[in-house]
Amino acid sequence: MKQKPENGAKRFVSKKAVTMLSIFIFIVAVGASAFRNDLPEKEIKFNTITRDSVASVQAFEIVYKTLMSPRCMNCHPAGDVPLQGDDSHLHAMGPKRGVDGKGVYAMKCSNCHQETNVAGLHMPPGNPDWHLPPAALKMVFQGKSAHELAKQLVDKKQNGNKDMQKLIEHADDGLVLAGWNPGEGRTLPPVTHAEFKKAWITWLQSGAFAPKK
Amino acid sequence: MAKITLNINKKDYPLEADPQMPLLWAIRDLAGLKGTKYGCGVAQCGACVVHLDGEAVRSCVTKVIRAAGKKVVTIEGLSETNSHPVQKAWQEIDVPQCGYCHSGQIMSAAVLLREKPNPTDQDIDDAMAGNICRCGTYLRIREAIHTAADLQKKTGTKG
Amino acid sequence: MNQDKTGLDRRSFLKASLMSGGGLMLTVSWLSSFKSADKSEMLNLPEQWATLNGYIHIMPDNKVKLICPNPEFGQNVMTSLPMMLAEELDVDWKNVTVEMGPHDPAKLGAQFTGGSNSVRMYWKPLREAGAAARQMLREAAAQTWNVPVGEVTTKAGILSHSSGKSAKYGDMASKAASIPVPKDLKLKAPKDFTIIRNSKKNVEIKKITSGKPLFGLDYSVDGMLIAMIQHPPAFGMKLKSFDAAETLKMPGIKDVFTQKLYADDLEQGGFDTRTFNDLLVIVGNSTWEVMNARKKLVANWEPAGDLKDKIGGRGGVKEVTIPGALESTTTQLQQMQEYAAKPAQELRRDGDPESAFKNAAQVIERTYNGPFLAHNTMEPMNFFAHVTADKALLVGPLQAPGWTEPMLSKLLNLPPDKIEIQMTRMGGGFGRRAYGHYLYEAALISKKMKAPVKLMYTREDDMTYGIYRPMYTATYRAALDANKNLIAFHVKGGGIPEHPIHANRFPAGAVDNYLAEGWQIASNITIGAFRAPRSNFNAAAEQSFLDEVAEAAGKDPIAFRLELLKRAKEKPVGKNNEYDADRYAGVLELVRDKSNWNKPGNEKYKRGVAAYFCHNSYAAHVVDMVTRDGQPYVERVFSAMDCGIVINPDAATNMVQGAVVDGIGNALYGQLTHKDGAAQQSNFHNYRMIRMNEAPKSVEVHFVQNDLDPTGLGEPPFPPVFGAVANALYKMKGKRYYNQPFKDETEKVI
Repeated sequence: MKQKPENGAKRFVSKKAVTMLSIFIFIVAVGASAFRNDLPEKEIKFNTITRDSVASVQAFEIVYKTLMSPRCMNCHPAGDVPLQGDDSHLHAMGPKRGVDGKGVYAMKCSNCHQETNVAGLHMPPGNPDWHLPPAALKMVFQGKSAHELAKQLVDKKQNGNKDMQKLIEHADDGLVLAGWNPGEGRTLPPVTHAEFKKAWITWLQSGAFAPKK
Repeated sequence: MAKITLNINKKDYPLEADPQMPLLWAIRDLAGLKGTKYGCGVAQCGACVVHLDGEAVRSCVTKVIRAAGKKVVTIEGLSETNSHPVQKAWQEIDVPQCGYCHSGQIMSAAVLLREKPNPTDQDIDDAMAGNICRCGTYLRIREAIHTAADLQKKTGTKG
Repeated sequence: MNQDKTGLDRRSFLKASLMSGGGLMLTVSWLSSFKSADKSEMLNLPEQWATLNGYIHIMPDNKVKLICPNPEFGQNVMTSLPMMLAEELDVDWKNVTVEMGPHDPAKLGAQFTGGSNSVRMYWKPLREAGAAARQMLREAAAQTWNVPVGEVTTKAGILSHSSGKSAKYGDMASKAASIPVPKDLKLKAPKDFTIIRNSKKNVEIKKITSGKPLFGLDYSVDGMLIAMIQHPPAFGMKLKSFDAAETLKMPGIKDVFTQKLYADDLEQGGFDTRTFNDLLVIVGNSTWEVMNARKKLVANWEPAGDLKDKIGGRGGVKEVTIPGALESTTTQLQQMQEYAAKPAQELRRDGDPESAFKNAAQVIERTYNGPFLAHNTMEPMNFFAHVTADKALLVGPLQAPGWTEPMLSKLLNLPPDKIEIQMTRMGGGFGRRAYGHYLYEAALISKKMKAPVKLMYTREDDMTYGIYRPMYTATYRAALDANKNLIAFHVKGGGIPEHPIHANRFPAGAVDNYLAEGWQIASNITIGAFRAPRSNFNAAAEQSFLDEVAEAAGKDPIAFRLELLKRAKEKPVGKNNEYDADRYAGVLELVRDKSNWNKPGNEKYKRGVAAYFCHNSYAAHVVDMVTRDGQPYVERVFSAMDCGIVINPDAATNMVQGAVVDGIGNALYGQLTHKDGAAQQSNFHNYRMIRMNEAPKSVEVHFVQNDLDPTGLGEPPFPPVFGAVANALYKMKGKRYYNQPFKDETEKVI
């Protein structure tokens, strides 16, 4: 079943979302082959969810601009070197992702990135689990359109086999939260974490529709 | 201030230190070991690299408290007789010019060789791009790492 | 063959004495006048060198010790200078040890590291000292054995006679000390060298690989305090007021105070340049405590307004006005454009350039720009000082102790003989440590604190409180006739605050009609020597321009330069041409041959060539560029050098390789910009340095083989790298690069 927002993907029409029926959600099927390019697509089929493509796409607008902000995108680079700074330049010393996403040899993330932020400007931000997505699941944000990113986020082959529950939980992942504690001198993501999380859940629970290409 | 015991080069140093103090300054100012260098203070240059439980951490951004209960190895303790394959290779190739960055270069190279005993040029780039040499001795560093790999194979010595 | 092309002209004196405990101590001193074609390149060295002395110690145990007079900053003088001594002394290199001498102008002379001069300056005196000592040892043996001195031979520290008698140098050293110093010395011919031209390892290599405390920052004494300076946030600002209450509450903090560096009207020497005069000083027990407490310091700043400085020098005392404006790079660039359009000072004129340009078939005009560059020595500025009422001890990294002593004496009100300066190994210099203001600052702080103090700059202090490479621009014009011959050449260069022009350098002398002009704009941004001053800009601009002119003339860039050099040799224009056209052509031919220029097999590469002469040596590079990860990457370089006799070939190769890497890095990335007087780069996160992954796979270094007296290598290989990189980029991208750093035009932030 596919739906199309009345005024196309670029315009988000206010529409009252239907009450969510259940918090027990199952992802039934996800697959790239199921997608078409011409319209917002439902990414997740839920047996007990209200699908609302307009609300979903609207929520994803917030999700997208957050994930594409430097605080999120910098660790989801197109290549194997993370990005840095509000201008998302290549990380100065070119540390490599490595198999597990934690760097290689003398250039492991935790060699510089401590468990917490280091006080001062231009200091490495910290987190106990600082890493890039691993080599097998790169989860690239950089360069992705909203459409591509939405599809990718819920593609179990690309998202680390995360189901709806795990995806929702991921909003509170320590490293995701670190985006809102970026260390001195770095801008915050465009919305608060609460706003992001709300949009994230709304997007997922209203069918995880991808905006039109 | 807190009482922190650092184990540096197999020796215990009971220190009275601000737990937030970077490990670099604990090593240099409190333990009095000057081989580990200050270059930038923001983890950009690699002059301050020491081994913390075997990893090549940048001591200028590592709080001293992180090192408590762990093993710290500095350039002075990499080998007892200046004979780690990387040190010997550095001597053989006569790598340094001013020499200031080389403690950090050697400590980084030692981790590379432990994890990748036969590194390619690409591995060396990946491991060493974090260590700046203002004199530009990179070609010799690269050559010395290959030499160290050969020495390590011959002698069976591991970093 | 005339071996002496260095322009050094000297009379030397040797003095021998018996060491306490036995052994020979030979003091060598000499007086020489220094003739440099371009004195400004010598960092304004005095007309007459002071008396120079080096010490040779031959111990009873046959060890030989040399006191190295010149500070070591990576150019390897602590190895190359003793090699000269050991060569003539004829000792086993294994028995030579080296110690860095303290500043002692009466005994050790100028002690200046810079201008690529150490080897050049010591070439004859140290060999003479070695030869004299050897001669005295032979004499001592001859007397002891009662044989003619002519029959006593030496080999690696052993004296022998055909009768079978033999002795170690150490056995004869005490007796040799009583032998009159020989007046006539015969030095070895280059063909007889056994140590010189044979690579020796850095004498401090094992100390470096084991982390010995060799550097200024490593120096420490009991009770030493740590001091840092809070400097104004921008050039043109000064301290208005400060509140240190919170800082003083922090643990380990001893004091916070202001310190004026130079009193008003104090006459300064040419190398007393300082960035800020009113210092806000924080002193405490340890580095971290001071760094930490400094963050709590509240300081208010205000515009400093115009300042007047009195600068002394050979030309007498000059009053210089330092403008108070808060300068920005964007406005500076505009200002430079305006000045470039105004009449400038004529520096050299040959023929009738105006007519030649007017009648030319084709005129090519291009403008080049180069930014301020920070030295970024890996070891930031620092110095130890312990000043008491009647004496001062200063220890740290310093290129030219002799230039700091007069000012120290004035600031501390102590006679020079009460001031002891010791030079540590330097974590890089590149010209920055020729300016001793940080030593004066340390001394004044120690005096005030009545305690031993280490002044330390953080990286941010070091980068934003610099003595930078000036900002330069130059417009080059070339006139070609209908046959594509270069008939006129015009360069008009300017800078903030000095112009870059070397008026008598190539292609001056090779073109009938030539004009060089310079202009400058005063500024409060402090500048000084940076590895090959001025040349480091000129070689980029001029060598890039000549490439373009060669192309317009339809000629190969190397062949084009060689034609001009042939002209300069056979029928030179003008009289003051600084360079030797033969040697200049020699490096170009060598690099052409070694790189297989224009030969098949190099299709993979975009190739750029450049050659330059500065600091008495000749350098040429061919840079081979490829595209890697979408970016230009210099994968391979061929270098040809002519620095006369190469003392220590492996170390010399290291030096050239390093200069190539440094040149690529600075050409592509180096720049310090300002906004409202504030430096926009403060640490390596935004001042990009070349790194391992960007270094070429190979830099093949070739030296022209000749027996000419050696000249330096610290600077000469550096400048032409910029030009070669620019020319390779042109081949790769199809457009010319006129503005340093080139990365701004090649690389976009992703």
